[in-house]
Amino acid sequence: MSSLERRLHSLGRELAFPPEPNLAASARPIGAGPFPWRWVALAAAVVVAVAAAFTVPQARTAIFRFFHIRGATVERVETLPQAQERSQAGGLGRRLALADAERRVGFQLLLPAFRGEPRVYVLDGVLATVILRLGDRPVLLSEYRATSYQSLKKSVPGSGTVEPVRVDGEAGLWLEGPPHTLTYFSANGEFRQRTVKITGNVLLWTHGPATLRLEGRISKSQALRLARRIR
Amino acid sequence: MVDRPLDEAELVERARHGDPEAWETLVRTYQGIAFRTAYLLAGSATDAEEAAQDGFLKAQRALARFRRGAALKPWLLRIVANEARNRRRSAGRRERLVLLAAAEARPGDAVPSPEAALLAREEQTRLLAAVERLPDDHRDAIACRYLLDLSEEETAAALGVRRGTVKSRLARALARLRESLEDEA
Repeated sequence: MSSLERRLHSLGRELAFPPEPNLAASARPIGAGPFPWRWVALAAAVVVAVAAAFTVPQARTAIFRFFHIRGATVERVETLPQAQERSQAGGLGRRLALADAERRVGFQLLLPAFRGEPRVYVLDGVLATVILRLGDRPVLLSEYRATSYQSLKKSVPGSGTVEPVRVDGEAGLWLEGPPHTLTYFSANGEFRQRTVKITGNVLLWTHGPATLRLEGRISKSQALRLARRIR
Repeated sequence: MVDRPLDEAELVERARHGDPEAWETLVRTYQGIAFRTAYLLAGSATDAEEAAQDGFLKAQRALARFRRGAALKPWLLRIVANEARNRRRSAGRRERLVLLAAAEARPGDAVPSPEAALLAREEQTRLLAAVERLPDDHRDAIACRYLLDLSEEETAAALGVRRGTVKSRLARALARLRESLEDEA
C-alpha cells in the first residue's frame, strides 16, 4: 500500500459523518416497541391515521413500522385512535391573508398558479393550509418547515398502503385509504392530542426547506401531477 | 445448553421466511456502513438516510432473490448505493465533507506535538480538498475503497461496476490526486 493510500485510509477515520440514523427501529414489526418520543423535538406535529379501504396486500406493505421523509414519519398502528368527524376546512386554524400567513409561519408558501387570493389557514403558527380545488373537489395543501423527520407523524393500520414516491426528485410518501385521524403537538413540543376524522388520500413530500401534504379525494396520479405544479 | 448467536446465513434464512427480528438484526449490523456509504455518494445526510431506508426496504422485498451463501454486505451496499446515486443525480448538490474536530481524537490515539498536529491537520485538509475536486466516478471509488475502507468487491458492488473497473478508476484517481497535491506543493 502506498503512502497516499495510507493517508486516504487515515483521512476516512477522521471524517465527521452525520449521526447514524436508527434504521433498525424502522424495521421493527408492529407492537415490538414504543415510538421513541424522546427524539421528537417538535415545533409542531400532525398525526394522521389512515383507517381502511387499502388496496396493497398486507404481505407487501407490513414490512416497516416506520417510514421517514424529512419532516414526517409514518407509523403503522394496530388500533386507530377515537376520532370525531370534521369537514376538510375544520380545525385548520385561523384564516389569514397570504402575506400575513407567510409572516406567521416564517417562510414563503409554495403554491400552484392561483387565480385570486388563496384562502390560507394557520394552525399554532407553524402549519399553513391552503384550500385548492381539483375540478369540483376541494384538496387541502398543508405546509410547514421541518428540521427533522419526526416533525410530522402519521399513523396507518398494518394493512394500509404506504408507498415511497418521488416528486420532482424529492422524497415523498403516498398514503391511500380513508378515513384519517389527526393529532398534533403544540408549538413548544408539548403533546396535545386532538383527534379528528378526515376523508381522503394523502401525498407527503419535501420541497426545499418545506414539507408539504396534499389531502383529498384524489388518486395518486392526480396528487403527483398537482404536487409537481406546486412551487 | 447455551444458545449461540445466529450467524449471518441463518439470520438471512429466517428473515427470508418473515422473521422480523432476524431482519432487524441484519439492518442493525449494516446500517452504519450503509448510511456512511449513502452519505458519501448522495452528498447529504437527509438523502443518505432516505436512501438507506429505501434500500433496506427494497432489500427485504428482494430477499427471496438473494443467492444463498453469497455475502450479504455487498448485496445490501449495491442496493443502498444505487438509491443514493439516484438521489444525487436528482438533487444535483453535495454537502462539503468535513474533518472531525481536533478534540474528537479517539481514545488511545497517540498525542502529537501541537506543531505536528497542526501540520497533519493541514495535510488532511489539503488531501480532502483534492479528493473533493476529483470527477465523480474517481471520487466515489476513492470514497468507497479508502475513506469507507470497503474491499474491492464491496466497492464494485456499491458503484455498480466490475472489480476491474474499480481497479482502473482507483489507479487513475490516485494518479490525479498525486498530481494535484504536487501542484500545490
